[in-house]
Amino acid sequence: MNNIISVIFASDQETKLDNLALHRTAASLPFAGRYRCIDFTLSNLVNSQITSIGIITRSNYSSLMDHIRMGRDWDLNRKNGGITVFPPYASNTSRNVFKGKIEALYGILEFFTKAPEDYVIVTNSNVIASINFEDVYNEHIKSGADITVVSYTAKPTTSKRLLLELDGNNKVVGTRITQTASENETEIGTNIYLMKKDILVEQVVDNFERGYIDFEKNIIQQNVDKLNIHAYHLTQHCALIDDVKSYYAESMLVLNAKIRSELFDGPGGNVYTKVKDSVPTRYRDNAVVQNSLIADGCDINGTVINSILFRGVVVEEGAEIKNSIVMEGGIIKKDATLDYTITDKNVTITEDKHMSGTEMFVTVIPKNKTV
Amino acid sequence: MLSLKKETVAMLLAGGQGTRLYSLTRDVAKPAVSFGGKYRIIDFPLSNCVNSNIDTIGVLTQYKPFDLNQYIGNGQPWDLDRLSGGVFVLPPYSRGGEAGDWYKGTANAIYQNIEFVDKFSPEYVLVLSGDHIYKMDYDKMLDYHKEKGADCTIAVINVPLSEASRFGIMNTNPDNSVYEFEEKPKQPKSTNASMGIYIFNWQKLRKYLIEDENDPNSSNDFGKNIIPNMLKDGQKLFAYNFDGYWKDVGTIASLWEANMDIINENSGINLADNSWKIYARNTAEHPHVTGQNAKIMNSLVTEGCEIDGTVINSVISSGVTIAEGAIVENSVIMPNAQIEAGAEIKYAIVGQGAVVGKCAKVGESQNGDQWQIAVVGPYGKVADKAVVKIGEMVD
Repeated sequence: MNNIISVIFASDQETKLDNLALHRTAASLPFAGRYRCIDFTLSNLVNSQITSIGIITRSNYSSLMDHIRMGRDWDLNRKNGGITVFPPYASNTSRNVFKGKIEALYGILEFFTKAPEDYVIVTNSNVIASINFEDVYNEHIKSGADITVVSYTAKPTTSKRLLLELDGNNKVVGTRITQTASENETEIGTNIYLMKKDILVEQVVDNFERGYIDFEKNIIQQNVDKLNIHAYHLTQHCALIDDVKSYYAESMLVLNAKIRSELFDGPGGNVYTKVKDSVPTRYRDNAVVQNSLIADGCDINGTVINSILFRGVVVEEGAEIKNSIVMEGGIIKKDATLDYTITDKNVTITEDKHMSGTEMFVTVIPKNKTV
Repeated sequence: MLSLKKETVAMLLAGGQGTRLYSLTRDVAKPAVSFGGKYRIIDFPLSNCVNSNIDTIGVLTQYKPFDLNQYIGNGQPWDLDRLSGGVFVLPPYSRGGEAGDWYKGTANAIYQNIEFVDKFSPEYVLVLSGDHIYKMDYDKMLDYHKEKGADCTIAVINVPLSEASRFGIMNTNPDNSVYEFEEKPKQPKSTNASMGIYIFNWQKLRKYLIEDENDPNSSNDFGKNIIPNMLKDGQKLFAYNFDGYWKDVGTIASLWEANMDIINENSGINLADNSWKIYARNTAEHPHVTGQNAKIMNSLVTEGCEIDGTVINSVISSGVTIAEGAIVENSVIMPNAQIEAGAEIKYAIVGQGAVVGKCAKVGESQNGDQWQIAVVGPYGKVADKAVVKIGEMVD
């Protein structure tokens, strides 16, 4: 698999993440107790021996840089290849931050032309799934496709999803881009594409010169009749995180043993993340913890039910956390309660404070706040 | 030749078989034994070195080295992947066209690596053991060594008089200079027990190592030969008093006790204290999961565990499964062990990858100080409904 490079977009439609993206890109959104969203994509690539990876950032990328560092935790601190982070200003053709993915790719054409590899995977960083790209590549070759899009079957819960109409051989024969959410299960593109580097460069240059900037609309939708676009269908669990609602729902699904096993023991292999050298979690005498996902370094003396605790969370005696997500460094003081609440990093909930939301409208408490 | 000089080189003795840990060291050297949920014993001296600004460490291995070699790797988890210095695994090797010798004793192990130490032209050599749990600033001990103008400084810890005869005892003058060393004395004159941590002036030690090697009657041991010989010659030996937590985990009982000390907040060792972190090679596992029936009290639980049973006063290492209805009390469960439904584990150590079958019983509750620990060896299998008695060991 050393014939493939990859480009990851650190953010695509992050505005919908509201408070959760105030300080970060979608790529560095904390997920499942100890990960960032981009860990899943990076681990899938590395486990498929794809080790030359460019990350295109747009804004708020310092938390991403802090997470990735030199890529060592994914074994990507290589002499050849490894991780290259493209800050927004790397594009010398655009005075402003890029508007669409095509413009961003045009800004780093050299990354493609200089690489000796023949194939490229273009992906967003909000895909939570265990994917073996060796399998994707093999199917791409076998199908004779120009472009392979990785897809899965689900209900489109938000707008801007790429819906695929497939023939019996999983060839894409039609596409739609959703404007609203729908209750009907359908084939959805994951914004992960595999193609020959030459095809990507040709498409990017051609579209950019015509003033087109939207990857899904201009490169995929416009080419359904002209190029052979193939769908690689995922049977395992797959999630796209692009708003608070999908973030909460997909986080809670990790509590399901079957889905957890599909994510962490799936074809994509181990999921790596930044190592923090936390100690094991300490349970004290009054701890009650049920149906929850708990990272290392926590100190628990209260009640935690149907919840996710990230690293280093403190739950004091009498505190009660239900249906909630507490990110790294959260402190839930004595007798405080949380229900349907997401607390971002380093939030303190003071004594006897009660925070609650509903399943439809989860309360989000922004980073570093004390309430 | 490496041109960069190091003031201090640490030599970590990790070759011991650890026979008193029985099946726990059947496949791995003692320093590679799992400890405290996510650590190996060797993480403690390695992390102490790094935290004490010692970045050049030779790890002397001999017995079952593969696991340890793989674990240490390039030293990156301890920040020891350095351009100059770093961590070096030093097995016995052949020198000058002759067949190499096994390390005959602790002193011989260093003797055989004189060339290695010489490459860094150090002033001082710190000799460490790979089987102790403690947090210690070696830099302070080095300052003391320099201040005293010593040829050798030996770290000592105060032990109860009743236990002193189990240790090597340093008898000292009021200025802390050592006038006598007694190995396991029947009538101890003092309670200063050697911790097996030495700082030597390298040139001095080098001379004594060569002399010791030429003595056919020597057992090539620091405690039995080098220290007594230096004392006999009137070299300046000083005791350095350490008053923190320190435990030799060379036996099943002491390994279990040290794990319990990690849970007990008043034991004197706090792993969560970030001012002196203990580093370990991390496994890529998801956060641990507690099921609907889980009940966990006064315990440590590590990443990758799936817990649906009851856990009390125990250390649960990474990747352990504890099924519904199982009870784990006052026990240490090592990485990736599986405790099946209804099993009861009390006062026990369950080795890495072991499986305890449904409704099996391992160990029993005990009162007072006379407890005995049951052991299920690494990758051992306890059949459904089988019983492992108090203090019994099964492979």
